Amino acid sequence: MTPLDWAVLGVYLVAIVGFGLWMGRGNKRIDDFFLADRKMQWWAAGLSVMATQISAITFVGTTGQAYTHGMSFLVFYFGLPFAMIVLCTTLVPFFYRARVYTAYQYLEQRFDSRTRTLTSLLFLLSRGMSVGVTLYAPSVVLSVILGWSETSTILLMGGSTIAYVVYGGNKSVMWTDVVQMAIIWLGIFVCVAVAVAQLPAGFGLRDSLAVAALTDHLEIMDTSWDLRKPYTLWSGLIGGLFLALGYFGCDQSQVQRYLSGRSLTESRLSLLFNAFLKVPMQFLILLTGVLVFVFYHFHAPPLVWNAAEMRKLEAGAPAGELARTRSRFEAAHRARQIAAQRYARERRQEGAEEARQSYLAAQRDLVAAQADAARMLQTINQGKAVTDTNYIFPSYVVSKLPGGLAGLVIAVIFAAAMSTLSGEFNSLATASMVDFYQRFVKTSAGDAHYLWVSRVFTAFWGVFACGIALQAGRLGSAIEVVNRFGSYFYGSILGVFALAVLTPRATARGAFYGLWSGMTTVFLVSRFTSVAFLWYNVVGAATVFVAGLIVSALQHAGPPSRPSDPRTTAPASA
Amino acid sequence: MKEEPPDDARVPVFRTWPRIYAAVALSALFVMALLALFARWPY
Repeated sequence: MTPLDWAVLGVYLVAIVGFGLWMGRGNKRIDDFFLADRKMQWWAAGLSVMATQISAITFVGTTGQAYTHGMSFLVFYFGLPFAMIVLCTTLVPFFYRARVYTAYQYLEQRFDSRTRTLTSLLFLLSRGMSVGVTLYAPSVVLSVILGWSETSTILLMGGSTIAYVVYGGNKSVMWTDVVQMAIIWLGIFVCVAVAVAQLPAGFGLRDSLAVAALTDHLEIMDTSWDLRKPYTLWSGLIGGLFLALGYFGCDQSQVQRYLSGRSLTESRLSLLFNAFLKVPMQFLILLTGVLVFVFYHFHAPPLVWNAAEMRKLEAGAPAGELARTRSRFEAAHRARQIAAQRYARERRQEGAEEARQSYLAAQRDLVAAQADAARMLQTINQGKAVTDTNYIFPSYVVSKLPGGLAGLVIAVIFAAAMSTLSGEFNSLATASMVDFYQRFVKTSAGDAHYLWVSRVFTAFWGVFACGIALQAGRLGSAIEVVNRFGSYFYGSILGVFALAVLTPRATARGAFYGLWSGMTTVFLVSRFTSVAFLWYNVVGAATVFVAGLIVSALQHAGPPSRPSDPRTTAPASA
Repeated sequence: MKEEPPDDARVPVFRTWPRIYAAVALSALFVMALLALFARWPY
């Protein structure tokens, strides 16, 4: 990092905290603090929805995944546009007309207090845990760049976000999200442009893609029905649909963003805005990872990306074995570079197959040398496996990007992290305040009291996230950890909301026991089968819906548990 | 008590909600087709 990079990063941090504090002034009621006084326009709410979803993990984790495994992760987002349409026609109108602060409040209007309390508690548990992982990912970046401890970086990142969210609430969250999203888009285009510009002379973008295709790095549409594979077209379309329905429809961190729209139309448009942009944006991020993969055909990659682990390896591995592995790795890299250039030249000629085979042999050798290094490291770490994926992109940024741009891309990673954290702190505080404090502790107090307590909750969740982040370092690939947390609960919670809006015959008891049966089923599936995690959402939602209907049917041969309210229930013909 | 904003504000460009939903779904399918083409293109 050059002084210019530090200046860019420093200006970003100071400016975004200052902007957040400035935009958040004037909060007097919890309507202001939690829903930005319901005055947001669709484009601002839409950018905020997008920014809340894009975490630093998106950059650090998915570019690393694209580097190592290719672009198959993209299918994860294929169900999202269709989920947005379903939500705009179902849950969003119900939420908006019910004038709720949290999605779970709606469940009390439709069912009963315990269903609301349980779903809100599940949100607090799952989001409270995952927000810690969200905070941990950028600390990886800073620890690589600065040589700081992860503890200091977690506290810097968490502390600066806590400052403006505690003061400004949702107004600060959403307006900083808008700015951060603009920075993120700028950074994505810069990354793609720089990655293309850094290709060697005579080796163009088409050559790069041709070489990347040899190792299936461009493979996106795996049409197999193998439920154990994490990223197939079907797991993306069906599992991804259910995950997006659960995340955008039942997760308070998203619901709160679009409930801040100034009309139902603005709220709907904010979600549809995301439906248009999400897949293309994620494609560009993954393409960056693939281009970095090709870039390192022509520049020497490290044997281990994590510099700290590399130092451990050099200090603890048998010197002879490490030297052999290193020289095998370097020889494979040279052979791969030559084979890649040869394949690029000859891919439409007769010698293409031979060039392809020599490229694949070199690639296999290179991966095998890295695996040997990983095994040595595992022995040094007393059996603990080391995940290197999250270190690839940050290492590339700080060592290979030109002056100023490295600072910009690091600022993008900060922006992505802070936009997610801010929304999550704010939504966790909202659920704690509205679903628990205001519901059970102090049911009638003045605006000033509730506003003060809301700020205390915001600070609490910020500090809690920092605590979890300090333990998250050994949890494996960060991206999958976050998504797994969600997948255990999202499907089941989605099933409860489906019962609420799709069938007027569902009763409170049906919803409550349906929810428990859904979570139990997901636990059993995750524990005793090798079904990929994206399918948990489908399993959870379907189980809750079916079990909920059965319990409801058993309960009432008689009338529904409470009178039907047109604001909260679908008509009987729906 | 605050006055509730109208639910039926004008839908921009497409005029009706079914049309805008159809446009979103079609554009999503179009993007997926482009991605399939990208993945299989003989570079």
